[in-house]
Amino acid sequence: MAKRIKAGLIALGIGSAVAFGFFVDVVGRIQSMVNDTETADNPFTPPVEPLYAPTDPPMTVKLFFPPGAGPAGPAAGDVLLTTEDQTIFQSAELANRALQILQKLQEGPASPDMLPALPENTRVEELFISEDGIAIIDFTNTISTNHPGGILNEQATIYSVVNSITYNLPGIQQVKILIGGTEKETLAGHCMLLLPLAMDLSITDVTSPAEPPVQQLLQP
Amino acid sequence: MIERHWKRKRLAILMAALCAAIFVFGTRLRAAADDFPIYFPDSRIVVKSEALNRTTYLPIVDIIQNLGLPYTDALALETITIRSGASRLVATRNRALISINDQIVLLQNPILRESNRWLVPIEFLTQGLTRLTGTPFRYRAGAPRIFAGDVRAPELVMNAQDLGPVTRLTIRTGVPVNLDVQHDDQNNRAIVRIDQAPVDPLRERIDQKDRLVNSIVFDDTDGEPKIVLETTDEAGEIRVTPSDGNQLFFVDVLRRAAQITEAAPPANVPAPRIDAPSPERRVRVIVIDPGHGGMDSGTTGPAAAEKDLTLTMARRLRTVLQNQLGATVLLTRDSDIALDNEARSAVANNNQANVFVSLHVGYSANKTDSGASLFIMPDNFGGGAGTGEPPGGMFLPWYLGYRTNRQASSRIAALFQEELTKAVPGWRFPVRKAPLGVLASATMPAIVLEMGNVNNSTNSQTLMDNAFQSRIASALVSAIQRFSEPQTPAAN
Repeated sequence: MAKRIKAGLIALGIGSAVAFGFFVDVVGRIQSMVNDTETADNPFTPPVEPLYAPTDPPMTVKLFFPPGAGPAGPAAGDVLLTTEDQTIFQSAELANRALQILQKLQEGPASPDMLPALPENTRVEELFISEDGIAIIDFTNTISTNHPGGILNEQATIYSVVNSITYNLPGIQQVKILIGGTEKETLAGHCMLLLPLAMDLSITDVTSPAEPPVQQLLQP
Repeated sequence: MIERHWKRKRLAILMAALCAAIFVFGTRLRAAADDFPIYFPDSRIVVKSEALNRTTYLPIVDIIQNLGLPYTDALALETITIRSGASRLVATRNRALISINDQIVLLQNPILRESNRWLVPIEFLTQGLTRLTGTPFRYRAGAPRIFAGDVRAPELVMNAQDLGPVTRLTIRTGVPVNLDVQHDDQNNRAIVRIDQAPVDPLRERIDQKDRLVNSIVFDDTDGEPKIVLETTDEAGEIRVTPSDGNQLFFVDVLRRAAQITEAAPPANVPAPRIDAPSPERRVRVIVIDPGHGGMDSGTTGPAAAEKDLTLTMARRLRTVLQNQLGATVLLTRDSDIALDNEARSAVANNNQANVFVSLHVGYSANKTDSGASLFIMPDNFGGGAGTGEPPGGMFLPWYLGYRTNRQASSRIAALFQEELTKAVPGWRFPVRKAPLGVLASATMPAIVLEMGNVNNSTNSQTLMDNAFQSRIASALVSAIQRFSEPQTPAAN
């Protein structure tokens, strides 16, 4: 009888030890999961890389903005976009130059005679340049949700981006705009975004970059 | 007490038996046999189709006998073997698969043998017989007909429109045909026979039910294509007007003369000119698209939202254009609903519209800005600039539909510009080019008219003004009338 009690106590002790060990292991795992959750963002946050190096030379770019309000405003005249010269840096990566141009567009025109082209709080999420010279730009949803509407405004927003990129960066022939990471039919109900768009200078007051001014041709 | 208990028990047993019967036999729902034509290049057969388990079944032996294919019906093995040259197809009863030259082809529905007849689903023909014989069997889902081999079956497009005293059925065929109308006035039925067989209708029936017509159904179950119109007691004469080289027909069901007189409007109100169309008039159907709608308000100003302004203007345009041009005028939306751009241009495409006008209202951050614009598609949208020819030969991607009428769109935009500038002094209507979703797939002269600035309170009020809307409408009428006139060399 005593033997049986002894064996039972031993079994109980072994069982308790195993249970305790299991309990400790589970608690440890849960704690490590909590710690993982707390620090989950840190290992995956991409480092913010500068868009240009300090040694990169500056380059002047033409940025396309809607002309200011008034008699020469967008609804009155035939010119939908006019230009402003700004400076970026000639970074080695074409994508970084494009991002610099988009950053300047987000900041808006320096001249008070022009209007911002992008709606408030619009940011570029991603930019990718394909081998065949198409820049795929993913904007935040705000480019659509904060857009005031109207065909002319919508056209101005889209071609401000398309023209500013393609005019200044000859390596990019077309621009495909994504919104919120997905393909959208239109920006705000009018202008089609399903296909990549090429430069359209007919709505601007500048000539094609392939046609330099006559004065430049006459120079020795 | 006990008797009542037994009664309840019996009732319960009966109900259970009924449920069991429905469960067992309900899946074998059998509908009445219908005639089902199969068209071959030089012949046709009409077999009796049966709807079992909501699937159309065809008697395969009738079909293979017509094709002259040898077959073996093995009752003991419950298989049927069909041969074509060196190829062999074996089908087994109640199995949703067939074997073609020892290769298994899965079907969606099982092959049945009922009342000593082998019944096969449609896919048996399209997947099985097509592979066995090398003759393609083409089937449009839901259609009660099959085309086998190189059968030339022009597509038939039907649309119907209630125009008040007239119900107009528009029939478009890809090839010249002749129509023969037989009107059985006593039985309220009209049969429009088509002298081309076979034809391939895009829709079997049109859900048209109005004061004159109860139903419009295509029927070729006897192998002879015809359109059957069930009319009402109010329907009178039926007129057919051919157009476009006998490829387009307008079948007008007129209200009886006495009733038209009763319903005639007062003398001081001009009666709507909805007469039978004359062949020389180019603009018969106009589709007006009130921009935005539903959750999509468009631009919003202090006085109104774009979606409401466009709808009000579109309704007025419809009235004026119908009365003054006698054209069929359709709106893409006649209430506050949301539509995508493709659905809007589809209304114009599906109704063979001659002109498509999409109405919008502009917005400018500057409240003092005013003005308007006309938009057409840019020449080079979608690549391959300027040739006007579709890039892939005969097939055109949907977003390049605009190319079919690019020059006509430019012309009508120029006419709109002239007439609108005359009608609304002080306003400019520049013609601009933009890749607009609503125009891209429209296969007729199509423009967008953007009116004023919704943020400008004066503009908003002007847009809601009846007199202003009438001036815009009159300008559009004049422009479309001029567009309908034959072009002179100078106009080009």
